[in-house]
Order: sequence, then C-alpha cells, then structure tokens
Amino acid sequence: MDLNKSISQATQEIFQTMLMMEASPGQAVTERAKGFVDSVSAIVGMAGANKGMLAIHIPASTALIITSSFLMMEVTEVDDDVKDAIGELANMVAGSIKADLTEQGQEFKLSIPSVVCGAEYEIDCLTDSDGVSMPFSIEGGEFLVEFHLQK
Amino acid sequence: MGKKVLIIDDSNTMRKIVTRSLRQAGLDFETILEAGDGQAALDVLAGETVDIILSDINMPVMDGIEFLRQKQADPKIKDIPVVMITTEAGADILDEAKSLGAAGSIKKPFTPDQIQETLGSLL
Repeated sequence: MDLNKSISQATQEIFQTMLMMEASPGQAVTERAKGFVDSVSAIVGMAGANKGMLAIHIPASTALIITSSFLMMEVTEVDDDVKDAIGELANMVAGSIKADLTEQGQEFKLSIPSVVCGAEYEIDCLTDSDGVSMPFSIEGGEFLVEFHLQK
Repeated sequence: MGKKVLIIDDSNTMRKIVTRSLRQAGLDFETILEAGDGQAALDVLAGETVDIILSDINMPVMDGIEFLRQKQADPKIKDIPVVMITTEAGADILDEAKSLGAAGSIKKPFTPDQIQETLGSLL
C-alpha cells in the first residue's frame, strides 16, 4: 500500500466533499513532529494486530478556517466546536486509511478521537514506530497529517 | 404530518453537517432530533416517534452496533429504518449492521446526493 497516496487521497477527498476546499499535499517526511505552538491536535488510535495512530496537527488560525467552513459560520476562538470539528476531521481521515489497510489484510479498530490544544505542547506517543508526516496547505493556512504504525 | 428524523453521532459538527446535507438533498424533515450516542438515542425514542434514524457506528457510551441490537429487541421501535453514516467502511462491520436490521449505509465523507439516493427510497 502506498501510504503517502492513501493519506493524500483521503485528505483531499474530505476537504473537497465536506469543506468545498482544496487541500494541496506537500513533501512527506518520516520524522515525527513533537512540539506545537498555538495549535490544535487530534489523534485517533488504531488497534489490531499492529498498533497505530493517525494525528492531525493544525495551527489555531487554520483550525478556525476549517471549523468555520464545516459549520458554515464564523468561528473566532478555539472552543469545543473547533475541537469537535478537528476531531471529526481526524476520524474521517483515519477511517479512509483504515479502509485501505483492510484491503491489504490488516484489520484495525479505531478509537474515539482525542483532541489537545494550547499555546505550547508536545505529543509523544508510539515512539518506536514507522510512518510519515505529510504537510497540506489550504487557502489561508496549513496543517500536518501524521500516520504511524508501531514497529 | 411532517416527517421526523433522529441523527445519532457523538460529533456535534457531524450532526450539523448531516442536518445541512438533508436540506441540501431536498429532504425537508419537519423535526430533526439529535442524540450523541446510542443510549441517548434510545432515551429519545422512548418519548418520540421518528420516521428514520441516521446513526454513526464508532461512539462512546453505546456504539451504533449495540444501538441496533437494543432497537431490534424493542418491538415499539424495531421497524424504524436505520441508515448508518460512518467512517467504518469495512464489510464485516457493515454486514453486522445489516444483520441487525440496518437499511443502508453512507460512508463519510458524503455528498447530499448520496444522502438523497440512500434515504429517498426509505421515506
């Protein structure tokens, strides 16, 4: 399975279908992103024969753009609506990647999304893992989608 | 008399998107009820009659599969059609939903046309 292609297609489809926005993928890297400033991060755990996680890290300003588009109303601060919207975004991307993995014979169960936000924070989970981090840009902002499987 | 729909999803955002999509699909329900999980939905159905239910699968407290199981066991609500709206597109979980009476499924992300196509024949 081409993981980069799976992440790219899933994210682009969700933005086109549910947000009427174009999300352009950038160059994927294997290094993990750990520290975040003034951001919102949503994480979906994947449990099965292997463990994995899908995370989306979004600067607060971009999270407001995405949530405003989801809800079709102007959202001006990171509140429960923003956390819920970004959590649901991660849930949909994880669901699409899960479907691709299932086609390859890898069965997973998805967790309910967990969302963290703040002025400065670090995320450190599945430290011994392989995966990719793919940046995306939308009009007015950018965000990062990470997918990792435990070694 | 206008039709009623119950939307079950733990995401407030997704409930709003489904509500908007129903209108965009031309499905003008008189009443749109919401519940954040399967147990909350059963509580709603104890006091309300609805024409159709749209339910997520992966939810806290009571997921969509257990909701279907409980609904099937209750003769007062077992015949209300349920359409699953979910990221869980795996054949095994959708087969289980179907075996528990689900009338159809829609994969997230979805378009209003897909909502219309699936719900149109059930109303």
